[in-house]
Amino acid sequence: MRVSLIKLTCLALLLSGCGKDFLEVAPVSERTVANFYRTAADYNNAVVGTYATFKHPGLYGNGGGSLIWLGEVVSDNTDIGATRQPVNVASFEIEDLNFSLSNAYFNAAWTGHYSGISRANAILDRIDAATFDEALKNQYEGEARFLRALFYFNLVRLFGDVQLITKEINDPFATSQLARSPAAEVYQFIVDDLTAAEAKLPATITAANAGRASSWAAKALLGKVYLTQKQYSQAAARLKEVVDANVYSLLPSYANVFNPATSFAANREMILAVQYKSGQIGQGGALWSSWTPFNVNVPEFGITGGVGGGINRPTADLIAAYEPEDQRKAASLATSFKDAQGREVREAYPVKFRQLGMLAGDSDVDFPILRYADVLLMYGEALNELGQMAEAHLYLNMVRKRAGLADKANLGQAELRLAFEQERRVELAFESQRWFDLVRTGRYLPVLSAKGYNVKEYHRLFPIPQEETDLNQNLGQNEGYN
Amino acid sequence: MKKLPHHWLIPCLFLLLPGFALAQTTLTGRVTDNTGQALPGVSIVEKGTTNGTATQGDGSYSIRLATPGAVLVFSFIGYVSEEITVGNRTSVDLSLQPDLKTLSEVVVVGYGTQQKKDLTGAIASVGNKDIQKVPVSGFDQALQGQVSGLQISNTTGAPGANTSILIRGVGSISGGNEPLFVIDGFPVTNSGIGNPLNTINPNDIESIDVLKDASATAIYGSRGSNGVIIITTRRGKAGKARIELDAYAGFQQMTRKIPMMNAQEYAQFVIDGRNNGWVDNVPTADITRPNSGRPASYRIPEELQDPSALGEGTDWQDAIFRNAPIRNYQLSASGGSEGLQYAVSAGYFDQQGIVLNTGLKRYSFRANLDGKLTDRLSVGVSLAPSYVNQQNLPTEGHYGNLGVIQSALSMPPTVPVYNPDGSYGTLVPPPDGYFPVQNPVKIANEYQNPANQFRMLGNAYAEYEIIKDLKFRVTAGADLNYAKSQRWIPSTLSASGAVGVASAAAAREESINWLNENTLSYRKSFGSHNLDVVGGFTAQKATIDSLSALATNFPDNLVENINGGVVNNGGQRFQEYTILSYLARANYSFRDKYLITATVRRDGSSRFGADNRWGTFPSASVGWRVSEESFMKGLTFISDLKLRASYGLTGNNAIGNYRAIGQLADANYVIGEALAPGLGRRSFSNNQLGWESMKQLDLGIDLSLFGNRLDLTADYYDKRNTDMLFVVSVPAATGLTSAVVNLGEVQNRGIELALTTRNAVGAFKWNTNFNITFNRNTVLSMSSDAEQIFGATANRGNTHVTQVGYPIGVFYGRRQEGIFLSDQEAAEYGVQPLARGGDVRWKDVDGNGVINDNDRELLGSPHPDYFFGFNNTFSYKNISLDVTTNGMVGHQIYDATFMINNSSVQNNTKYVYDNRYISPEQPGDGRFGRSIRGGRNNNTIYSSQYLFDGSYWRIRTVTLAYTIPAALSQKLKLQGIRLYATGANLFTLTDYQGYDPEVSNSGDNLLASRVDFGSYPMARSFIFGINLSF
Repeated sequence: MRVSLIKLTCLALLLSGCGKDFLEVAPVSERTVANFYRTAADYNNAVVGTYATFKHPGLYGNGGGSLIWLGEVVSDNTDIGATRQPVNVASFEIEDLNFSLSNAYFNAAWTGHYSGISRANAILDRIDAATFDEALKNQYEGEARFLRALFYFNLVRLFGDVQLITKEINDPFATSQLARSPAAEVYQFIVDDLTAAEAKLPATITAANAGRASSWAAKALLGKVYLTQKQYSQAAARLKEVVDANVYSLLPSYANVFNPATSFAANREMILAVQYKSGQIGQGGALWSSWTPFNVNVPEFGITGGVGGGINRPTADLIAAYEPEDQRKAASLATSFKDAQGREVREAYPVKFRQLGMLAGDSDVDFPILRYADVLLMYGEALNELGQMAEAHLYLNMVRKRAGLADKANLGQAELRLAFEQERRVELAFESQRWFDLVRTGRYLPVLSAKGYNVKEYHRLFPIPQEETDLNQNLGQNEGYN
Repeated sequence: MKKLPHHWLIPCLFLLLPGFALAQTTLTGRVTDNTGQALPGVSIVEKGTTNGTATQGDGSYSIRLATPGAVLVFSFIGYVSEEITVGNRTSVDLSLQPDLKTLSEVVVVGYGTQQKKDLTGAIASVGNKDIQKVPVSGFDQALQGQVSGLQISNTTGAPGANTSILIRGVGSISGGNEPLFVIDGFPVTNSGIGNPLNTINPNDIESIDVLKDASATAIYGSRGSNGVIIITTRRGKAGKARIELDAYAGFQQMTRKIPMMNAQEYAQFVIDGRNNGWVDNVPTADITRPNSGRPASYRIPEELQDPSALGEGTDWQDAIFRNAPIRNYQLSASGGSEGLQYAVSAGYFDQQGIVLNTGLKRYSFRANLDGKLTDRLSVGVSLAPSYVNQQNLPTEGHYGNLGVIQSALSMPPTVPVYNPDGSYGTLVPPPDGYFPVQNPVKIANEYQNPANQFRMLGNAYAEYEIIKDLKFRVTAGADLNYAKSQRWIPSTLSASGAVGVASAAAAREESINWLNENTLSYRKSFGSHNLDVVGGFTAQKATIDSLSALATNFPDNLVENINGGVVNNGGQRFQEYTILSYLARANYSFRDKYLITATVRRDGSSRFGADNRWGTFPSASVGWRVSEESFMKGLTFISDLKLRASYGLTGNNAIGNYRAIGQLADANYVIGEALAPGLGRRSFSNNQLGWESMKQLDLGIDLSLFGNRLDLTADYYDKRNTDMLFVVSVPAATGLTSAVVNLGEVQNRGIELALTTRNAVGAFKWNTNFNITFNRNTVLSMSSDAEQIFGATANRGNTHVTQVGYPIGVFYGRRQEGIFLSDQEAAEYGVQPLARGGDVRWKDVDGNGVINDNDRELLGSPHPDYFFGFNNTFSYKNISLDVTTNGMVGHQIYDATFMINNSSVQNNTKYVYDNRYISPEQPGDGRFGRSIRGGRNNNTIYSSQYLFDGSYWRIRTVTLAYTIPAALSQKLKLQGIRLYATGANLFTLTDYQGYDPEVSNSGDNLLASRVDFGSYPMARSFIFGINLSF
């Protein structure tokens, strides 16, 4: 018996595995940070993950993200068509310009953009040391810088001064005392990043890479950044490069710009867009199915499943803003639909991103971030500000002509400003540009208050989310929200 | 019940068996206690043989003697054993004397057993009789109301659903709060479908011991802080084979329907709501103008415009609830020789749910074998395979997610269950003016969600006595779980559209948990000194491998699984964790009066961060048996008095796997019009991440008076859980919004009382068992005093908060201060500019003249002030009546059903209809405002308006049993026949308006508990049963 007892003990010791290795258990079905960022493929995944930030609910989501609300619904272009309910208090706060500091759209925007910045930082911290094809390295670095700049540009426009994070952060409490940097510093950082990106990014994007940023996207964005800072000559210079390059052009049909059937190669107007794809792969858009009238689904919408959310309902004011012959109106919005009994229901909704035959929340239509019409209008606006009114007319009229409208002529600088404001409003309706345009030009106060909105001077910036100010005493709050 | 004759076949077969026994000398008699009361279950063994029997309910016995004139040993726990030489007698009646001096009842503690008198920790034991008196699938449900300090809530009445089990309060904010379950020495982890405890047949359980204080649980180290529940299954005893059949069958029904509005009332509610909504939202509104000119939201559907033309309409609760059968059969055999004992059983349990198409079936088997190979070596094995099959439905939750119960409560009574053409009546797609609600009967019939689980728990041991009193024991075991679930939603079933998107899901999970334990134990008495030492090391490893697949794009509804569509989501998740431990415990007593226990366990686990892998968990306790002191001898009314004190440190390792390791998450995107895989960081690395540390003090007293007529156990405890697993919010500038760290402190302190009295001990016997627990939970610290962790259940928004100074997960929101009686009153209040007469008035907590999220405050607690069990057993001769009751007092429930259905779209309760504001002359009860759709004051926002007192006292079971006299049953060649009838959940005393004050959608989510949102109500059941022993 003694022998078998010893055997038994040995077996027991064996089973116990003994020591350190037994307790070293690494995830098998999850990827860990520790063994990432090694190969070119890792970097590609990291870059794609940074692009994916566009779909964070704090940016565009799948059609109802913060930038939809804070770029469009807050303005005079659209409102929300839903019935008031406790669940949509946050939405109506945006619509009513009556913000609470804990409104989820602000918090999502803040966290979403910083999440993207962190992903870009993680790439940029490491890519110098990585060893793979130089051209790819340049592309990935350019993309990371471009995206980081775009995220900061959104942040600085939404919130003004923001914390400037330029490296990946691994200590969860490292920023708990960090104050905000002045907007001017953030803008300088954006310009530096975009200038670097412009040099590193490829000029041509193949169809296989559709959705990635080109050097033209960097230039167009840089133009927009300069324009926002009222640095008109630098803006004009960058935008001129894009115009002169002749890479992009206006499509003859406005509606085709937003038609999923228009191929990437054929869509010479789109410079950068949020990419959506149907097939229930988690990448579909709800730009159509959530924007149709609230709680309604009728056959003419061509949507299987679900009911509309009434997001981005065109206001009567926007509907009236279209000139009678404007072909963009029908391509952008509808004012009624027929219910199941065939009765006409008068309720406006955007049709710009319409896709018939889609499953709810699963459309293909991309959402433009930068497109050529925007570049033309920005270029014209910059020229006008530089006193080159004659040339400015040219670019205004290029956009008007495509819409089937007569040329404007002989407008003075001030009239031209209003003409550009009007043209951008209808050309870029539902593209989350309106609010930023009005704030950029300082026109938000007179324009909205004239229409009876409860707008205040301090609304030029949104409040810093309360969740963040609670976590960091040094953040401070924007003027007007204390 | 129609099948009953068929099931009688088995007992009839067994009736034949005793007939084969040879005719021998038969001895009969009756065993009583010192008061003359019958003693059932007394073991009677013919000395030196395996021949034995036990007394019946009336104390009578009958034994065939192998040797005429043999010596019989009569023994019974708590009584002094007697040896009787039979001689030539044919009848021996005997009175056993209680063994008052040694309370020899054995209690199972971790890695050993102890006599109750020697315990210094807080441990409560529940016997099999108390576990088996409730007709339920899992023993956890049966423990309710039995043990002080043990709070069990049936969170849903769905067959096989989960219970929430807490020992001495909610200890952890973000980590697990479930106690550790140890089945025959094997610490199991929860895995599989539904409630994993359903895989254990309650009939197989011999006893359950609940370990509550640190002295008792520290032997389980990093898994001990939430308490430990030790389940011991039946093992064979040497003696004659004992074959038993237990069978019961009956039916269940719902306890109460919620009175809902009828069609006429619903129409009036809608008319009022739409009119009010229109006037409220549209400045130019004029209710005299035609309905058709209104925006769609405020139009009154044509068929509702004349309420008087409508009658009662459909009662949707009748459509989905039913009387459902329940039955259980268990056949077991046990016995053996000195060398080999066995206990084997097979069971079948079938419970259909009171909601259509829900139910659970279990097939369970158990074999426990113990063999003594030599004088020194014994071995044994336990094998318990079981198979559980569940029919699930999305019974709970929002009708937008096809919640069956919420759909039934929301569906207007004007919609028929079936249209005249036989099709389902539905609001999907919604006709003009309605909101989409799917027909719940259609959901129940078309939604398929079966799940099943095979579990095999096997454990083997060998014990070798190295030298006298020193034993080495090695055990090896495995807990194997294979679970699968399927889901199919046909395209005909949608919550919103005429045609939905067909989808199917399939999931498989394999979990393997193996354990090896090696212990040395030494038990020795030296004069007045008694020593009992155990030490050892153990290794445990668990792996869970789960696969899931989701498919859509079904061309038709012909193939109802993922194969019929295109699989476009899913994956494999593999998880593993390990624990390596060293443990030791010493029990020492001096003169049987002074007791000391010291325990230590050192645990290393893969779950902990690389720089913090090992934790040490010590505890110590002392006991003083005052009644043994000479100065107490004069106080004869005190049978036993013991004072206990313990203090120790235990841990909670329920922090999840891999939490210390920084991970990446998928962040996919579309590049080149195709799905492009992307990655982004999901979590920070934290090499310091460790267990939660629980420090617990326990002071207790055990007192028996008047010859054990009254037993009282009382404990005071103070538990402090520190270094809690905390998902702390971090500034988003880091790129992430949360990090997992150890911080904070939560306190639970309370008093537990358990009182057992034997009120009548003559021919009529009456025993009472009463236990009550007062627990106070307080969060002492978090990352900052200002931090608030919000809790939400069933997507009902942030309804609870956890913050310093309050209990975990208290109700938090706006406080309703009544209903404005008039527009003027609302205007005078001033802080709610959009409010009108009939709207809800909220407290302006911060007094700044604006109502928003800053005006939320503590509204109430989901934690009871106290909970109790009050159980009585009466018996007279062969008849016994057992009444168990339990209750909880002082907690509140958030009734989200009231809230969501309050906007004149869905149906609502008659209570709301009767108590709402209609006009200043008909102001209602001041809780419910006017019916209004899309009101600008947002009356339906979460507030104290929807909190209701949840206190209840429930008659859980009433069991009437009759034991057929031994003389009669022996004529039938049976050892015993017991017939019984049980009514469960017969009556609940409560003011709560929902189905049931006990159920909640929250499950184990203690940060947002007691949320009732279409919760599956508990059934009332009536069963009839029989126990036969051969």
